[in-house]
Amino acid sequence: GDALLPAPQSVSILSTNMKHFLTWSPVIVLGATVRYSVEFQGEYEREYANGSWIPISECSLTTATVCNITEDISATVAYKLRVRAELGATRSPWATTKGFFSPTMTSLTPPELRVVADGHHILVELADMGPSFQFRVLYWKKGQDSRVQQKVMKEVSSVLHLDTMEAGAEYCVKAQTHVEAINRSSSFSPTQCVRAQGDTSMWL
Amino acid sequence: KTFHFGSCRVSMSLAEIRAGFTAIKANIQSRDPVRTLSILSHPHSLHKVKSSDRCCMTHQLFTFYVDKVFKHCRTEDSFVNRKISSIANSFLSARRKLGQCREQNNCVCGEESTEKFKQILANYEGLNVTSAAMKSLGELDILLDWMEKSR
Repeated sequence: GDALLPAPQSVSILSTNMKHFLTWSPVIVLGATVRYSVEFQGEYEREYANGSWIPISECSLTTATVCNITEDISATVAYKLRVRAELGATRSPWATTKGFFSPTMTSLTPPELRVVADGHHILVELADMGPSFQFRVLYWKKGQDSRVQQKVMKEVSSVLHLDTMEAGAEYCVKAQTHVEAINRSSSFSPTQCVRAQGDTSMWL
Repeated sequence: KTFHFGSCRVSMSLAEIRAGFTAIKANIQSRDPVRTLSILSHPHSLHKVKSSDRCCMTHQLFTFYVDKVFKHCRTEDSFVNRKISSIANSFLSARRKLGQCREQNNCVCGEESTEKFKQILANYEGLNVTSAAMKSLGELDILLDWMEKSR
């Protein structure tokens, strides 16, 4: 009894900062609750396991039209995903993603950065983005753009002490993320500048 | 993280593979009735492999797991199957890098490690395929520990 239920449409993958989601349009059947089931297939399954598909239990018989596939799409290989609608014993045909998806295709956004002048010290707070992420922080004394210094943070600690500043001088900071597993970096965050104590202490 | 296998430098997310394996280790090892025999460590430990042979040996072991082991480890447990898929696809990705590196650096296997790998295959062939595959998967931490030493 599969033919009567149409397959979900607009199946696509949204992936940002190594978090991957499969989304699709709902299948509308008046007066009924349609459910969906999602499966994935990695390169290994295609080449060594007869093209088998693996169900994602959290997205089996779900009423949602989005599925978090991050846990399963973990290797840097080419994956395919598919979803079908289910209503009682009736199942739609599978709707399969066009082309392949790999974590290397995720979009990386600049890190959230907060720069604080604490007396003569520049402190930087970076939002934690998960174990895959490293941070590259660039800083320089305003006006000396050619003498940029850098610090790389492999793990996020709540606050990073960047440097000790000259009294009254203004320093600027920007940062980008780097994901070693896919060997890619985000663009830089907007630059933030703070002035050291000495003239007027500034809290941005 | 970057690993040095002889003359090969390969970046690999071993932590992810280990996390996936740890999540299913007890389940997999409970399916292995023959606890007295080891596939990877009998009669000699992997740690005896010379540093210069590590590149070739690691590539061979990854090929062993991709070609022979994972496909015979399908279970009735969806969670376990998903973790095995994650590990298998990570091995496939890592093996590709190792293969490229092996070609570029012409890593050859010495006599001792060739013998060692033959012994592993003999240990594997000595059991029925499902038991051999489950036992090999259950010993993944032996391989991961040996590779961690290569950092």
